[in-house]
Amino acid sequence: MPQTTDWADVQVVGIPRALLFYRFGVLWTTFFESIGRTVVVSDPTDKAIADGGDRLSVDECCLASKVFIGHVESLAGRCDAVFVPCYPTSDHRSGFCTKFQSATDMVRNTFRDDKLRVISCEVQNARKVKDVRRAFCDMAARMGVAPKDARAAFKAAWDAQRAHDEALADAQERTLRRLIDERRAADAAAAAGDDSVARPLGILVVAHPYISHDPYLSGAVIDSLEDMGATVVYADAMDHERAYKKSFEFSGTMPWLINRELIGSILLAQDDIDGIVLISAFPCGPDSMTDDAIMRCIQGTPILNLMIDAQSGTAGVETRVESFVDILRFQQKGGYVHE
Amino acid sequence: MSKPQALIEQVRSSVAVELERRHAPTLLADRKAAKAAKHKAKHHKYTKAAFFRYCYYDPAFKFFCEQVLDVDYLPLPEATRAASEVGVQNSSDYVCTPFKHILGDFAEALDLGADILIQFGGPCRLGYYGELQESILRDMGYEFIMMNFARGIELGYIGWAKEVLKTVNPNIDVPHGVVKLKAVAKMIEHLDSLRDFYLANAGFEVQRGSFDAAWVSAMDAMRTCLDERDINEAYREAMAAFRAIPLDKPADPIRIGIVGEMFTAIDERSNLGLDHKLVAMGVEVHRMLNFTNRYLRYNEPNLRVGAKDYLTYDMGPTSTLTVAAAKKYAAGGFDGLIHAKSAGCTPEIDCIPVLQKVSEDYSVPVLYLTYDSQTSDTGLDTRLEAFYDMLSMKKEKSK
Repeated sequence: MPQTTDWADVQVVGIPRALLFYRFGVLWTTFFESIGRTVVVSDPTDKAIADGGDRLSVDECCLASKVFIGHVESLAGRCDAVFVPCYPTSDHRSGFCTKFQSATDMVRNTFRDDKLRVISCEVQNARKVKDVRRAFCDMAARMGVAPKDARAAFKAAWDAQRAHDEALADAQERTLRRLIDERRAADAAAAAGDDSVARPLGILVVAHPYISHDPYLSGAVIDSLEDMGATVVYADAMDHERAYKKSFEFSGTMPWLINRELIGSILLAQDDIDGIVLISAFPCGPDSMTDDAIMRCIQGTPILNLMIDAQSGTAGVETRVESFVDILRFQQKGGYVHE
Repeated sequence: MSKPQALIEQVRSSVAVELERRHAPTLLADRKAAKAAKHKAKHHKYTKAAFFRYCYYDPAFKFFCEQVLDVDYLPLPEATRAASEVGVQNSSDYVCTPFKHILGDFAEALDLGADILIQFGGPCRLGYYGELQESILRDMGYEFIMMNFARGIELGYIGWAKEVLKTVNPNIDVPHGVVKLKAVAKMIEHLDSLRDFYLANAGFEVQRGSFDAAWVSAMDAMRTCLDERDINEAYREAMAAFRAIPLDKPADPIRIGIVGEMFTAIDERSNLGLDHKLVAMGVEVHRMLNFTNRYLRYNEPNLRVGAKDYLTYDMGPTSTLTVAAAKKYAAGGFDGLIHAKSAGCTPEIDCIPVLQKVSEDYSVPVLYLTYDSQTSDTGLDTRLEAFYDMLSMKKEKSK
């Protein structure tokens, strides 16, 4: 069958800065740039984008999905087509929320009357390089790119994404090591009778990357943590492969890749941190179940579970974070009850 | 364009401070419990299995337990508000509603003496129900064996067979079980076909209650079946009884198609008796969504071809069925559609933009219903009546 090249005229590709962009964004942008297309990534989330998404979405959608729709809307008129891939749950232990599976058709139908063009590909298993390559090369063929060029572009994109992930994971490792060193130094100083060296406070932020790295959504939480002198470690940025494998110790049947990585990171880092902050966008499907599991089964470290939605102002978040950090500081000094 | 109702305001933050590590950070049941379970399974001491309450499939579950697994089946009594309440109290508040109902059912089944609980696996959050419910019930203090079909799903039927042999009964006669499994499939097909007939015709019975009476005796007959021959016999008799009921059906009745989420759109306890309410209004009801069409005959890529104007990819567990059925009903001149789902069901929420386009293209009204554990019965009545009035007025006008 001759391959249709109905996307060959797409020169400027728009990518919404939301959802899985925070996980696979480097791969996507590098790929399109390597096949000679111009990439427009939508602007960082602001109130206008969030409100636009809220207006266009069904009320019951989660906040992250509404923001995503807002980003798509903001790209209308700025590009030839918007790139919305489909990530179905074809592997039972490394799937995604069905939101990422339906994103393509949700966008197509929501913006049908605006004649917004959507290009997409279907990635069967995001952990298998072969599956991802097939999806991207098929899409490139429809864009009129020769198979050889598409494969080369994919290789560049895959490597760029891996280098990016490794750099992030390294940064988290370094932060964790620094925390350990500082703690040791403080302990040594305290043993020598010097109380002036403050113990560090390491907080593991556990949230989907599109929440924890979007300043509009979780900026208030991260900022107030840092203002209070805590060191923030991102669970989503830790070594994906190690965290994924580790997560099987926690749960045998959990179907979501990102949640698995988050839980694996908790298990890996739990001994090196003082507190855990879970952030989820209301009403996140996977988090509704995994947060419950984490709150009940992860013991030995205080956990704050925060739910953010469009209405919550920063004041409410700050009080909650402050009181949580106070609990932790108190704990460091010996706890409420001196045993 | 109609918009679905908004979610209720819920709790926004919580803190867990458990400084002592009482058990390992894992959801998996501890090794001692696993060993004990294995021992008991080997000596076949666990004998009473229970499913959760699900629609009208209770006879099929019973047949499956008794004939395939070779364990006793523990039937649950009629659902009560109190049973669901247990589930609501012990689960996180924004988890989907079926989770809460099922958790309540399981707690009730354990109170009534069940040893084995059986849970399905599925492609959405359903795939994680079993493990989390097991952990919650153990935290509540119950002891039991969970037969979770989300385990072993990687290997398909073989994985499930191993799982069954390992957890429930190692002495199953496998070839016999396979034959009986085929009979279970037959029974499900028959139950669905009976229900389809019921939905299409029960609204027009001359003597009120005759269909319900026939339905109850059909279910009783199905419950006592021992093999495929019994099942076919029961089906024949039930169908004959249905057909013998005198009908007063107008040539062009109001027809409504129900689409939506697998649990809520079918299960009368979760959707507050949607079937009965519609039938009582004298409506011909159609519902493509059932076990037969979703599991036994499901061919997603081919089903999607019919709705390719709206769908590029498979959008979720039942999304293709929802959209394809909606399109089929709309194109077939149905008067209205009802989209029923539980609060927070992500795949079905994502279907709504698609259904809105179907509704625009075919100018067919869609009533979007979202159920959570607090949805009130009278509120539903009012909406259904208003929807019915609108449809009948529309029908009058077009005559």
